[in-house]
Amino acid sequence: MRSLAFGLVLWTAPVAAHHSFDAMYDRSKTQVMTGAVTKVEWTNPHARFYLDVKDERGRVINWNMELGSPNGLRRAGWNRNSLKVGDVVTVTVSLARDGSRLANAREVVLAGGKKVFAGTAGAS
Amino acid sequence: MRAAAIVLVVVLVAGCRGGGQPVPEPAAAAVPDFSGIWNPDRKFIYDINDALKPGETLPLQEWALNATTSRLSKDDPEALCLPTGVPRQAPYPWRIVQTPTHIYFLFEGNIHSYRQIFIDGTHPDDLDPTWYGHSIGRFEGDTLVVDTVGFNDKFWFDFAGHPHTEQLHTIERFRRPDANTLEYEVTIDDPGAYTRPFTLYGSHTAADTELMEYICNENNQDVEHIVGKDPRNKYSKDSGTQ
Repeated sequence: MRSLAFGLVLWTAPVAAHHSFDAMYDRSKTQVMTGAVTKVEWTNPHARFYLDVKDERGRVINWNMELGSPNGLRRAGWNRNSLKVGDVVTVTVSLARDGSRLANAREVVLAGGKKVFAGTAGAS
Repeated sequence: MRAAAIVLVVVLVAGCRGGGQPVPEPAAAAVPDFSGIWNPDRKFIYDINDALKPGETLPLQEWALNATTSRLSKDDPEALCLPTGVPRQAPYPWRIVQTPTHIYFLFEGNIHSYRQIFIDGTHPDDLDPTWYGHSIGRFEGDTLVVDTVGFNDKFWFDFAGHPHTEQLHTIERFRRPDANTLEYEVTIDDPGAYTRPFTLYGSHTAADTELMEYICNENNQDVEHIVGKDPRNKYSKDSGTQ
């Protein structure tokens, strides 16, 4: 009986990081970047991928794109094969406050228009 | 015919228990069941001010207020993949496992560890301080009461950075008014950091998931990029309120 009742209650915890999100990222500094995935790390406490993005001078900069935890991503229906090296993606990010080439990937869209990791970026 | 056979067996079994009239076993006291997987309560993640009754304020001693104001998020033990302590929650589900002698809280996140509560136990006199302290539990009707001492002073109560000392003593009360709700309150008594005891209130909801592995220290790149305090923090300069 109880297990039936449990079945009606979805995983509703806030998608949050193990650290203060806003002490690390600036929600007001949003940027959209497009590039090719060079590496995917399916690790704790955050999954992340690396993206080659051309800057305004045409130089290729490798960005570190932080996601939520693998468990949070898995519960939302994604896994380590959802994004592959070589995939071209457009990413909407919040930039790191310290100005490094690090960002929180808030929305990731594959070249074909399919979204991955939607709503699981670790912000709360 | 079958009913008669069952009655006969019952009479025979009862008659073997010591001769004479069968003595009914005393009914075991009904123990409430808290087992299951629970979502964390956000009020115990970000800022315990959120878990006070409306209109109340935290009775911080002066040094504790100063500590909370000056602590930087990069130094939060949770950001460093260390345990939450009590009553802090991590943003991951947790499971209660209940046995007649122990209750275990199994935490998925931060860290992949557990609390153990000794039912009807007593606190040793010579405790060394630890992250989760030494917990003894008892049932008061439908409520589980957990008394914990022996904490270290290393964990923070929340992202905001509220401190405590090794004098911390917590009394937690758990109730399950329905299958999907775990009511929670904790009285925090720490004469080393607060001017009086105070009580925080929360509620956990049942989670339709299973615990998964979470090894925080696997690839923690965050700390070197965490700057200052969370700007939403009541004690942050950025918020302009402190």
